[in-house]
Amino acid sequence: MGLITDIRDSISSLFSAQDPKRIGIYGPPNAGKTTLANRIARDWTGDAIGPESHIPHETRRARRKENVEIERNGKSVTIDVVDTPGVTTKVDYTEFLEHDMEKDDAVRRSREATEGVAEAMHWLREDVDGVLYVLDSTEDPFTQVNTMLVGIIESQDLPVLILANKTDLEDSNVRRIENAFPQHETLPLSALEGDNMDEVYDKIAEYFG
Amino acid sequence: MPHQCTSCGQVFDDGSKEMLSGCPDCGGNKFQFHPSTEDVPAEPEPSAEPPDPPTPDSSVARTVGNAAATVRDLVGSSGSQSAGAPEDDPSSRDPAPADSIPSEPAPAPDRTPPDTPASREDAAQADARSEVVSPDEIPTGSEPSTGTEPPATDDAATSEDLGTDPTGASATPVPTGDAGGRVASEPSEDRPDLSELREELNDQFESIKVLSPGQYELNLMELYDREEYIIALQEDGRYTIQVPENWHD
Repeated sequence: MGLITDIRDSISSLFSAQDPKRIGIYGPPNAGKTTLANRIARDWTGDAIGPESHIPHETRRARRKENVEIERNGKSVTIDVVDTPGVTTKVDYTEFLEHDMEKDDAVRRSREATEGVAEAMHWLREDVDGVLYVLDSTEDPFTQVNTMLVGIIESQDLPVLILANKTDLEDSNVRRIENAFPQHETLPLSALEGDNMDEVYDKIAEYFG
Repeated sequence: MPHQCTSCGQVFDDGSKEMLSGCPDCGGNKFQFHPSTEDVPAEPEPSAEPPDPPTPDSSVARTVGNAAATVRDLVGSSGSQSAGAPEDDPSSRDPAPADSIPSEPAPAPDRTPPDTPASREDAAQADARSEVVSPDEIPTGSEPSTGTEPPATDDAATSEDLGTDPTGASATPVPTGDAGGRVASEPSEDRPDLSELREELNDQFESIKVLSPGQYELNLMELYDREEYIIALQEDGRYTIQVPENWHD
């Protein structure tokens, strides 16, 4: 019994040394997850992951970019980046009507977004090894979704970096996010402008390497 | 012509790759299996649907499925249910509690234990499901269960608890697999107010509440906790789930 456990442990550590860590980019809708995913993928592979949009729920299926090799201080860290649909407790098609969308399209988008949340939650259950939790720093971070997701991530003992995105905007308030999650490291950044990405990569290498 | 799309009726050969990315005609992703030898009646989705409520005690996994089916049925036929049911007598409405209470915990109806009506239904279901599999499967499946499956025991005990408490007040949600079993037996527990019942069920386990087409409320903890994974919603409130492999055990 003990022998088998030992063998299994050594096998799994063998694999974890070889397999890239799968890092999920999580957060509420419109926090800039896809913009960040594209920034990371473009910086290190040259390709993008998915279309970005100011309309919420543009990403409705989890998208993955494998073998993103990040070089830091002479070492390289390989991760799989998973961009996930924004997590929310309510999806309402009428929200999309404001963005000049036809009702049928809005209803479909709403349904797909709901499926996307289910998919994101399912991935969180078993398919990610670490989390980049992206928040819009112009928004109040004290929400049910944020509390619940960060709680789930903590309960899974997953390494997590909180990213206070959109620091290029005037209303950005990084301190508020730091205060909301004092137990985790918060990094300010603008994924859109590429501000502070060096520090983000340092921390990714440190946390997920 | 084994596989048929449940939305548009197009038929695909067994092993057809077209189906893998959904029906090319209508995009539907639910298919029913049509054995060529036997004409199966047009049941909506025998493969995707969890087993029907007549076998409530089989396993936690299945009772969760049953609960989902029950709610769907309740939602689907809410008018007739509430209209036909007497509002005053808790015990007279549904015979199901009577079935579930006396069932002894130990040999609780597993897949195909012998000699009970429930087991015969199970055997029939297993038979229907295993048409494509070699016939040897069936005798194997119908070997008497040793009756040691703990979820079934829990479930029977739960039903008993509920039975002794006609108010159902003890039915507080428990965030474990048992919650599914408990919920599954609740519809037969009398609830005069159907909307109240539905709300309670929603609170307990429904992971996605469809307020209207395009408007949804999501229970993130449920979505996270449940093993099965909702992969496609449909306008009529039905949904397709991906069932974990170990449910087939």
